[in-house]
Amino acid sequence: GFDNWNVLIIVFTEMRDKLRKWREDNHRNSEQIVDVGEELINEHASKLGDDIWIIYEQVMIAALDCSRDDLAWTCLQELKRQFPGSQRVKRLAGMRLEALEKYEDASKQYDSILQDDPTNTAARKRKISILKAQGKSAEAIRELNEYLEQFVGDQEAWHELSELYINEHDYGKAAFCLEELMMTNPHNHLYCEQYAEVKYTQGGLENLELSRKYFAQALKLNNRNMRALFGLYMSASHIAACPKVNATVKKANVRYAAWATNQINRAYQVSHAMCCVLLKQ
Amino acid sequence: MAPELLLDSNIRLWVVLPIVFITFLVGVIRHYVSILLQSDKKLTLEQVSDSQVLIRSRILRENGKYIPKQSFLMRKFYFNNQEDGFLKNTKRKVVPPSPMTDPSMLTDMMKGNVTNVLPMILIGGWINWTFSGFVTTKVPFPLTLRFKPMLQQGIELLSLDASWVSSASWYFLNVFGLRSMYSLILGQDNGADQSRIMQEQMSGAAMAMPADTNKAFKAEWEALELTDHQWALEGVEEELMSRELDLDGMFSKELPTGIF
Repeated sequence: GFDNWNVLIIVFTEMRDKLRKWREDNHRNSEQIVDVGEELINEHASKLGDDIWIIYEQVMIAALDCSRDDLAWTCLQELKRQFPGSQRVKRLAGMRLEALEKYEDASKQYDSILQDDPTNTAARKRKISILKAQGKSAEAIRELNEYLEQFVGDQEAWHELSELYINEHDYGKAAFCLEELMMTNPHNHLYCEQYAEVKYTQGGLENLELSRKYFAQALKLNNRNMRALFGLYMSASHIAACPKVNATVKKANVRYAAWATNQINRAYQVSHAMCCVLLKQ
Repeated sequence: MAPELLLDSNIRLWVVLPIVFITFLVGVIRHYVSILLQSDKKLTLEQVSDSQVLIRSRILRENGKYIPKQSFLMRKFYFNNQEDGFLKNTKRKVVPPSPMTDPSMLTDMMKGNVTNVLPMILIGGWINWTFSGFVTTKVPFPLTLRFKPMLQQGIELLSLDASWVSSASWYFLNVFGLRSMYSLILGQDNGADQSRIMQEQMSGAAMAMPADTNKAFKAEWEALELTDHQWALEGVEEELMSRELDLDGMFSKELPTGIF
């Protein structure tokens, strides 16, 4: 009767809102998206109205992550039918080809988008992802550099480039990329921490000092960043143990390391207390 | 003291109100027509690229203090260097978008005229022809006699106060007066906003984009020259260690796995 109907409506709105939240927060929980999205599309398509198109896109990308080509194909067909000639849909078709490892065809797809619209950044970035998937790191790095020369403000690209450089052990250039990110996101503690780690890996007294400073900054931005706390301890003790440093610098770094140790102990105590509480429950 | 005229109340019902409605509806129709006729403004790759470069230079000025001094100087050198600094040496082709050289500008101008000026003239003329021969309303402030031929089209009375106006003037009053109504109903950026469009047409010639780029580069160059590096991390350890770490809520169940 009415009760069943009401429950269905509630379930439907919950599912749709969950999908929207995942979309807005850019979550990549693909299996969940596929579960919820597939049911929504199959059972409640009529109730979705115009939302259905963006849900098709979201579910299709999640389906590609889960190797559900059947579902991805269905979504793609619906989108192609509704938006023929759309570049956004063409990009999705290219992504499906990438998922099937048909890299040549995918590349041709993106080239056709770029012919119509040379400023289309999505297609260029997909082409670079293809190079990365094929393991051609040097080429990917080169293409990404060219891309960034034109689109110097693309933060996603800077981050991707820093990761590629780290994989190639080119820490100097990775540091440059992270500097760009720190300037555009001065309050992001993760970029400071990554920069500090790169500096620490580069080694040498000057880089260790920088690393210590940026671990401290990351900790200042987020008191609970444990990795930065350990990094602070290690960089400070490393400097203190260095034979070249003078007495004042050594004394200061010993003090920093001691403070860090103190805080680490506090953190362990907090976690110990938490464990006791949890075990008692 | 001019004697007060008493107007037939039919005038109010059949002239004043219809003119208001007509003006308003025409404005709304103009808005939707302008949306239909809107052409996509396609930016060139160079324009997109340049705008991002300017943003990067500005970020360098504002947030350069968060990166080490050497890195800041390296970037400042890249932008401002005498021989091959980007901001100093890049000159973009300055093509002022005059209607002759840029065909898309021409069609835009034509569309603008068709949707805005033409209806206004047509409807103004029609109203003048339909609702002629009588005064419609009185403006609340006194006017000089020189306004009479303009505002009292079709009424040949020498002794009539210039404050009494014909329906054509009421129409034009509406066109400008309903602007705020349009913003209320159609949202800020609506195509029915006559005066805004005319303002744009007048200042449009002055705001040519390409010339802007060169000037923008020069302005950035000057601003960057003046910027010095004040490292924000100078005393970060002391600031950090001035108090204990706030470890509240670190191991709670709800916390996302963002610590490591």
